[in-house]
Amino acid sequence: MGATTSVHRTIDAVWRMESAKVIAALARYTRDVGLAEEMAQDALVAALEQWPEEGVPRNPGGWLMTTAKRRSIDQIRRRENFNRKVEEIGRDVQEATPDASEGIEDEIGDDLLSLMFTACHPVLGTEARVALTLKMLGGLKTEEIARAFLVSDATVAQRIVRAKKALADAGVPFEVPEGPELAPRLASVLEVIYLIFNEGYSATQGDDWLRPELCTEALRLGRVLAELAPKEAEVHGLVALMEIQASRTKARTGPGGEPVLLLEQDRSKWDWLLIGRGLKALERAEALNQPPGPYYVQAALAACHGRARKAEDTDWQRIATLYQVLAQISPSPIVELNRAVALSMAFGPAAGLALVDEIAGAKALQGYHLLPSVRGDFLAKLGRTEEAKAEFEKAAALTRNEREKTLLLERAAACG
Amino acid sequence: MRFMVFVKSPKPLAALHRDPLLRAGVLLDAGDLVPDAYGVSGYWLIDVRDHEEAVERVRRIPLPACVVEIRQVPVV
Repeated sequence: MGATTSVHRTIDAVWRMESAKVIAALARYTRDVGLAEEMAQDALVAALEQWPEEGVPRNPGGWLMTTAKRRSIDQIRRRENFNRKVEEIGRDVQEATPDASEGIEDEIGDDLLSLMFTACHPVLGTEARVALTLKMLGGLKTEEIARAFLVSDATVAQRIVRAKKALADAGVPFEVPEGPELAPRLASVLEVIYLIFNEGYSATQGDDWLRPELCTEALRLGRVLAELAPKEAEVHGLVALMEIQASRTKARTGPGGEPVLLLEQDRSKWDWLLIGRGLKALERAEALNQPPGPYYVQAALAACHGRARKAEDTDWQRIATLYQVLAQISPSPIVELNRAVALSMAFGPAAGLALVDEIAGAKALQGYHLLPSVRGDFLAKLGRTEEAKAEFEKAAALTRNEREKTLLLERAAACG
Repeated sequence: MRFMVFVKSPKPLAALHRDPLLRAGVLLDAGDLVPDAYGVSGYWLIDVRDHEEAVERVRRIPLPACVVEIRQVPVV
C-alpha cells in the first residue's frame, strides 16, 4: 500500500512535469488539441495501471509520449478521413525512440508556446481559457481546478469539453501567431495568467490550499513564457508584477485574516528573494526598449514600493510619474485617483486635492467610496476639518464593507 | 514548497545543468559554493508542489557522477 501510494505520488509529479509537453507535441502531429489532450489522459490512465506493478520507467516522459502517440494513431485510424495524417504520425512513431521526450528543446518550446496561444484563444470565454490553460499547461486535474475556483467538478469538466469543441469548430490552427495578430493574442495569454494569479491572490485564510497554489502556478506559467518568448517586454512586465505582488503574501493579512494596507505592512515579512526576482524581470523588460505596456508600468509601480525597505523611503514622485504613464496607456479615473494620492505624498495634500477636484465629475467615480474618502483625507491634512468630516461621512455611506465604514466614521468623528 | 538542492560534483556545474529547471519555471535561485574536500558544489533553490516533484525534476537532469542532497525549506 505504502509503495503504491508513493508510485502514485511519483506519477502525479511526472504528470505535472510532462503532460503539457506531451499534449503540445501530440497537438502538433494531430493538429487537434482536443484529441491530443484526450490521448495524453489515456496515457496517464495506462501509467496508473501499469507503473504500480511494473515500476516507474526510466524515462517516464518518453513513455507517456510514446503511449499517447500510439493511442492517437489508433484513434485516427478509426476515423477514415484522416488517412494522410496516419501515415505522417506512423512514420514519426517508428522513428521515435522511447526517449522521444528528449527531442530538440526548441521544437518542444514552439509546441508549448503554440499550446498556450491555443488554450488562450480569444474565441473562448475567459473561464474556458482559464480552465483549459490550467488543465493543459498546468497539468492540474479537473477536480483540482474545481476546488481552486470553488465550483463543481462537473462545471469545470463541461467548460473544458465545450472549450475544446469551440476550438475545433472555429478551426483554430495550432501555431504561434505572427505579425499583427501576435500582440492581441499575447495580450490574451497574459490576461489569463494574471487572472489565475489574482484568483489565488484573493484567497483568504481557511480557503482550500489549492487556491493560493494558483499564484504559484501563474508565476510558473509566466516564467515559462518568459523563457519561450524572451523578446516580449510585457511578458517580463507581467512576471515582475506577479513576483513583487507574491512577495507580500505573508504581510498583507493580519493575524485575524484582515487585510493590511501596503504602507502599514511589516516589510520584514516580505519575501525579498521574490522582490529581487521581480526587479530583475523588470530590468529584462527595460532592456528590450519597447514602448511601456500596462503590465510593465504596474510592475514598475510595485517596484517603487518593493525597493523601499521602509514605507518612508518610497519614491512618490516616481510613482506619480508612472501613474501618469499608465493613464496615457489605459486612461481611467481610478488611475487618476491613485495619481492624486501619489501627488499628495510627493508634493503635499494641496497637489492631490487639485487633481481630485479635476476628476470628481467622472462617471466611473460616482458612487465610488474612495473618491470622498481620498478627498476627505486631503482636506483633513489641509486643516479644512468641516469639509473633511462631510466627505468621510459621504464615503461611509457609500461603502458596503462594514469594517471600512467603521474606520471612515471614526475619521469623521475625529474631525470634531 | 521550496527545496534547496545541493549538488557536490568533482567538476564545476555548467549552466546547462540547471536549464531544465529554468525552462520549467521552478528555479528561484542558483549559485556556486566554495569547493571543499568533496569537490565543487553548487545549489539550486526550486519551488515545486511536493518532494516527489523535486526528486523527479532533479533526477531528470543529466548530471555527471555526483552527490545530490534535496532539503525542504520551511515556510516561516
